[in-house]
Amino acid sequence: MTNHWTDLQNSDVIMINGSNAAENHPISMKWVQVAKDRGAKVIVVDPRFTRSAAVADLYVPIRTGSDMAYYGGLFNHIFTNKLYHEDYLKTHTNASYIVKSTYSFDDGIFSGFDAEKKSYDPSQWAYEIAEEIPWDTSPTGAYAWVNKPGTPAFTPLVNKKAKKDPTLQDPNCVFQLMKKHYERYTPEVVSQITGIPQDLLIESYELYASTGQPGKAGVIMYAMGQTQHSYGSQNCRAMSVLQLLLGNIGVAGGGVDALRGESNVQGSTDMGLLFGNLPGYLNLPNATAHKNIAEYIEKETQYAGWWTNRPKYLVSMLKEWYGDYATVENDYAFDMVPKFSGKPHSHIHMFQEMETGSIEGLMLWGQNPAVGGPNCSQERRAMEKLKWMVAVDLWETETAIFWKAPGADTPAIDTEVFLLPAACHYEKQGEIANSGRWIQWRYKAVEPPGECKDDAEIISEIYLKLKELYEAEGGANPEQITKLNWDYLDDNGHIDITKVAKGINGYTIADGKALASFANLQADGSTACGVWIYTGYFANNDAPSDPAQQKTGSRDNVDKPLDEGMPAVGSYLGWSFAWPLNRRVIYNRCSCDATGKPYNEEKALVKWNGEKWLRGDVPDFGFQVVAGDVTTPTPPDKTLSFMMTNETVGKLFASGMKEGPFPEHYEPFESPVQNQLSSQQTNPAVSLVASAAETMSTPDEFPIVMTTFRLTEHWQTGGLTRNLPWLVETMPKMFVEISKELAEEQGIVSGDNVVIENKRGVITAYAMVTGRVKPMEIGGKTVHQIAAPWHWGYGSTCSIGGMANDLTPNVGDANTHIPEYKSFLVNIRKQEV
Amino acid sequence: MAETAILYDSSKCTACKGCQVACKQWNQLPSPLTNDEYTYTESFQAPLDLAPNTWLIINFREEDKEVGIDWNFMRNSCFHCTEAACEMACPVGAISHKENGAVVIDQDKCIGCRYCVASCPFDVPRWDEAKNKTFKCWQCFDRTSAGREPACVSSCHTAALQFGDRAEMLAIARERVDQLKAAGYDKAEMYGEKELGGLHTIVVAHRGLEAHGLIRDPKIGLTDFWQFLKPLGGLGIAATVAGLGLSYFMARGYNRGEYSYDEKTDTLTVKEVEK
Repeated sequence: MTNHWTDLQNSDVIMINGSNAAENHPISMKWVQVAKDRGAKVIVVDPRFTRSAAVADLYVPIRTGSDMAYYGGLFNHIFTNKLYHEDYLKTHTNASYIVKSTYSFDDGIFSGFDAEKKSYDPSQWAYEIAEEIPWDTSPTGAYAWVNKPGTPAFTPLVNKKAKKDPTLQDPNCVFQLMKKHYERYTPEVVSQITGIPQDLLIESYELYASTGQPGKAGVIMYAMGQTQHSYGSQNCRAMSVLQLLLGNIGVAGGGVDALRGESNVQGSTDMGLLFGNLPGYLNLPNATAHKNIAEYIEKETQYAGWWTNRPKYLVSMLKEWYGDYATVENDYAFDMVPKFSGKPHSHIHMFQEMETGSIEGLMLWGQNPAVGGPNCSQERRAMEKLKWMVAVDLWETETAIFWKAPGADTPAIDTEVFLLPAACHYEKQGEIANSGRWIQWRYKAVEPPGECKDDAEIISEIYLKLKELYEAEGGANPEQITKLNWDYLDDNGHIDITKVAKGINGYTIADGKALASFANLQADGSTACGVWIYTGYFANNDAPSDPAQQKTGSRDNVDKPLDEGMPAVGSYLGWSFAWPLNRRVIYNRCSCDATGKPYNEEKALVKWNGEKWLRGDVPDFGFQVVAGDVTTPTPPDKTLSFMMTNETVGKLFASGMKEGPFPEHYEPFESPVQNQLSSQQTNPAVSLVASAAETMSTPDEFPIVMTTFRLTEHWQTGGLTRNLPWLVETMPKMFVEISKELAEEQGIVSGDNVVIENKRGVITAYAMVTGRVKPMEIGGKTVHQIAAPWHWGYGSTCSIGGMANDLTPNVGDANTHIPEYKSFLVNIRKQEV
Repeated sequence: MAETAILYDSSKCTACKGCQVACKQWNQLPSPLTNDEYTYTESFQAPLDLAPNTWLIINFREEDKEVGIDWNFMRNSCFHCTEAACEMACPVGAISHKENGAVVIDQDKCIGCRYCVASCPFDVPRWDEAKNKTFKCWQCFDRTSAGREPACVSSCHTAALQFGDRAEMLAIARERVDQLKAAGYDKAEMYGEKELGGLHTIVVAHRGLEAHGLIRDPKIGLTDFWQFLKPLGGLGIAATVAGLGLSYFMARGYNRGEYSYDEKTDTLTVKEVEK
């Protein structure tokens, strides 16, 4: 979330799109309800009428997978009716930037496409450059740190300033290009693609676009309904672009709000658990492109904005990982960091590699791919090729017993499987980060039962054993393990999680003092820091092992602005620590115009009073410069709107995406209709593995559109909830939602057992015939959608049922490889008794 | 102790069933343990009905519309009536009013006669055959008498459930109905102010009583009859068994309009639940 949960109360219009907040993030509705009590309107866009829709002011049914058409139509509506926030666009976005004439778009394809490689050359989408300014590395320059002894030697970068047209009239400026791009998304076409009746479409557009008025705030709450598509990243781009057009990012009550799918998914991605990331959102190095630390720094560091500091975060991270072993002479042990081989290593690809035998062992930590993976029967078969598996979990999950799954030839499976019992969250202490980036400490309430252990303790024991073995026996690249800094043990040799927290927070190596801000991190090896964005959350040196006295443990629920004279807007700065730097609404410079005057005085986050910035929230734009004892406020025209981009403004047009600088509508990998906006049917850069291509299900054979969802009553693959009778009782059986019309066509009534199938699998479920799903008119034909939860499997004594993911495709988004769980084709029939 | 009440506001309810589970957890009401013991309910409403081990459920009613549906939720549990039919019907004085208005069954006194089951106009008390006792919500009197909210209320994050001074709950409900009417919910109304002498569960039904399955102007069906018999029951139970047995079957027919339950085979027919 660019804002945070309690900030939802400040919204004027809340669009819940591709999320079922009421069911999957129930607590969010506390703040949605507060907003409603203050007069906010709620729009729910969803293929199914959900419990979120039940409390919405406007429900908009949409064909699953057609979100981009919906947004494109909304962009067009905003341009046509001039509903954009003009001042915001000019001040805080790249609307005025001039794009090179090499950029073009024709029939669904942008310039620079290599049809054979299925990839783009993004240099075709570059800006016209007005000026090139080399980094000033002189002793008084902004980049003097580059020459500090101990800093890895690299060629300093050159800042490129784009040509701009502040009037937004140049035909090649981003604003004009964008306006033109979305002219094709007329209400007629969008209605035909999405199935949304035109009057309802316009009604929802008008309501949401009303937040483009200066001083109004609209928020989008989204989740896997947006991301789990073969163009999911572009859906996210579209939401960001929409919020920029309407001036809804960086203001109280505005934001692009990813509702993270598990309570600590935010923390996991912060820690670098995505396959392409190191901690703190540093990119994973590539073995070919980054042969040494200098190449990594030169290619991965931005030439402008805050990410120019990336070398400091990389070196500090390496110092935390490898301690004294990491020196400038050995590139701070950069060689020890795992690297891309050139192939993606996503979840989908990992299972593909298991199938071909190139992965022999698997460690699972609280994950249940036998039920949760895309095309999960293929994943179960792939696991049969493993030599060993270690599953760490609270329960014996379906994955831990994949070898006795229905259809498995158990005697023929040789995999050796270990199940390590883990402690649950009440049985260990540590922090979790929520969607609003709050890092909150949780304490142990009870000791774990039996042999259950804290995950960190399990990791530590495995590490210490590995180290012992490598030291005794050697092996390939043993230093990667033996030289690791493992300064996290207590006197008894057990993991001390507060020591890990200090390593994450970062400290000065010379005196071991924790640092309060990542601005103190250095690239010269004098600081160590595991995750730079967390710096400050565990920085109280007076009580280094007491979480309660750290910001992460702080529980002051008084809503008080940082400076007097600013309004209290529900930021609760004393409650835990929000990364970065306890900032609650990021990009908050954008809440003011060019002169520093808030667009909404009553909900101001920061404000220029003529001499200095008054702060409600922690500012996000270099609001002052401190040199020795002298503090100089930064005037409004010198501050940064979006400090994490090269442009330091928000990007309506972005060259970093795999499938083009503007989000464009494509059909899902499996769609019942032809793309009505171009002859390019699917995402041209889609990520496709062999097992996905072989099992593509086509509409002639499988005409029914299916989507998957979650329920309040269960959690993920049900490993936890299907073993808790109180929860099972509230939703006891696997079912599928079917419209009354389709039920009648197929002779199905509620309570029947039905068979759902496609080329990937066959499952059975109980029929739930309901008006909550309805057939849609798409491109002149009637399209039926059905929907099923994916909580069930074969591995509980309390509740078992068909696995929806036996049907989902292992096709991935071009940027992230997230599977297209949300739109695919099937057939359905009543089960013969 | 002042008169207190639970306020349920259907317009704020997301039907997450947190209250349902909180009730089971606080009151330690078990659920079945094996897959085979569970049946498919054909609805998000699960379990489908109250039971000796289920004192609170959220009812789901769907009204089809051209776009989407109206999904009308209702908290289904004891209303804690001032004129409580169950209390009047109980021949052994096992059911009584607490000073805050909560209607509570004393399980030590309950003889399992099921008069309360038969007499309740809301079909709330449920008889447990094995224990031969009747059970229902007691508004977590153990919590409320110690200054805490009932468990269900404490779990509600949207403030669809509130608990407090009854007069205050009524005032909040009245204001909410006005707000909802102004927001276009023409049929919004309040429930529980005067019904059966005043209920201790107040409801704001944003789409009207019928849409949420509430009985307009509820009556105490056979209570007059029980009032007459009650002294006898207190004096000599055996003497009244025949008459009461007859009436019990009459009452079953009276109360089970929406659900039909066959106690011999332990099956519940629920086809008309959405009415």
